[in-house]
Amino acid sequence: MAQTQDDTVIRVESVSKTFQTAGSDKVGALDNISLDIRHGEFVTVVGPSGCGKSTLIKLIAGLVGLSAGRIICQDQEVRGLNTKVGYVPQESKLFPWLTVEENVAFGLDSKGYAKSERDQRVQHFIQLAGLSGFEKRYPSQLSGGMAKRASIVRALAYDPSVILMDEPFGPLDAQTRMILQDELLKIWEQKRQTIIFVTHDLVEAVALADRVVVMTHRPGKIRDVIPVPMSRPRNIFEIHRQEGFDEAHARLWNIFRHELNLKNGNSAAVEK
Amino acid sequence: MSNEAQSPSTNKPARPAWQRTLKIHAIRFVIVGGFFLLWEVASGRWIEAFLISSPSKIWRAFLTVYQSGELTTNTWVTFQEIGIGFPIGAITGIWTGYMFGRSKALADIFEPIIIALYGVPRTALAPLFIVWLGIGIWSKVGVVFILVFFLNFFNTYAGMKQLDQEFVDLARLMGANRWRLSFRVILPAVSPYIITGFKTSIPFSVIGAITGEFIAATEGLGYYIRAAAGVFRTADVFVGIAVLMIIVILMNKVADLIERRVLRWQTQTESVQVQG
Repeated sequence: MAQTQDDTVIRVESVSKTFQTAGSDKVGALDNISLDIRHGEFVTVVGPSGCGKSTLIKLIAGLVGLSAGRIICQDQEVRGLNTKVGYVPQESKLFPWLTVEENVAFGLDSKGYAKSERDQRVQHFIQLAGLSGFEKRYPSQLSGGMAKRASIVRALAYDPSVILMDEPFGPLDAQTRMILQDELLKIWEQKRQTIIFVTHDLVEAVALADRVVVMTHRPGKIRDVIPVPMSRPRNIFEIHRQEGFDEAHARLWNIFRHELNLKNGNSAAVEK
Repeated sequence: MSNEAQSPSTNKPARPAWQRTLKIHAIRFVIVGGFFLLWEVASGRWIEAFLISSPSKIWRAFLTVYQSGELTTNTWVTFQEIGIGFPIGAITGIWTGYMFGRSKALADIFEPIIIALYGVPRTALAPLFIVWLGIGIWSKVGVVFILVFFLNFFNTYAGMKQLDQEFVDLARLMGANRWRLSFRVILPAVSPYIITGFKTSIPFSVIGAITGEFIAATEGLGYYIRAAAGVFRTADVFVGIAVLMIIVILMNKVADLIERRVLRWQTQTESVQVQG
């Protein structure tokens, strides 16, 4: 039970996951994954689609049971639902029948926060998301970007030890995406909550992360973990010019080029 | 910013909304008024009066049965049958649909049975209810219940099948207990379906009560209508029908209020979309 009292928040130990398909076949989604996430760390997970990166997130959240290995979250093995994590799904998934305010307060109310602290936190996080004045609006009255920000602060508001984000910016257009990445980093720099962020976008993976976990095609394995030595705070809009970006991105791309089985000749064209 | 700031019609210097509303009301009034006038004129001239009665005769019949207290007594009986059968049917229907959606085992066991029961034309059960529960109000309560139950059950259950699992997962991850999960997440998520079932079951509750009263009763609007028709008091039949219409309209008004309250988050969506 008791892990060494270092600053590891999440420890994934030799975790595998196989899914039973309609027939009697088993499909391997994850194969022997081990990973430590430190407190306050921003980790991104990249890989081709179908590599099981979303499955990894769902295992940590306890939404899906694992087939082998174990996951330890804050010195406790994850069995069943892991209510220590906040979860930001691909689509915003705000509860459409609750106002912005009630959505952000949902976790606080569920965990029985006192009224005064609840109101204060709600106010604070709504402001942080730039949604002041929209407290009483319903999600259907928000733009995609606003809904996304509300969805993120809903997960942050009740202070879970880890935030899991499953390609949250996937369906957005490039501009909105960049703005939200910038806002996410600004919020994160204030809160320094531990974030595990799944994406298929290599630039996004490098721009946000302290470390990038690279996964291979199904069954997903961890191919490499690349540290991103860029300083913070980062400027998302000029991320290419920041020192350390090119190096980390090149390393990442090299791995992917391998994965995609591209010949050197072709890859040059693709790269630039 | 606020919704009130913009009227439905922007840009174009179109006629104000109230003018349109007035016009619609005026046209409707003319059509309905014309119909009643035609009815009054036709009665006894072109069509036998005992077949179609006439608006003026209906009005006089109404005054008579109202003053004698006969109408009030019968209306009260039917109202009670609906007033007991409808809420119980709606609540148990919604509850059963919800439970079936929550428990796969329950659904697997009972779904075929319920579908089979649904295949039975439920008004055909009315005589059976009379045998079981007598000719008083309880047999009619039973018929109302069974009609209302199934409509609410099926709609709620259909909604539960459409329920987005991710909402449930998210709520549970955020620490929602069973109570919050049910009343703050699942039921609101399914509420558009529930409301649909609830509203469609309103006229059926009246049909249930009247059918029961047609078959065997000593009082109630159905009994009153049948008795009047039996002796060709057509005007009294129309009085009964008019009261039934009013009951349905009032019930719909109440349902609209509930809908507006429960589905506030949806109606607001529409208003915004209109504003573009």
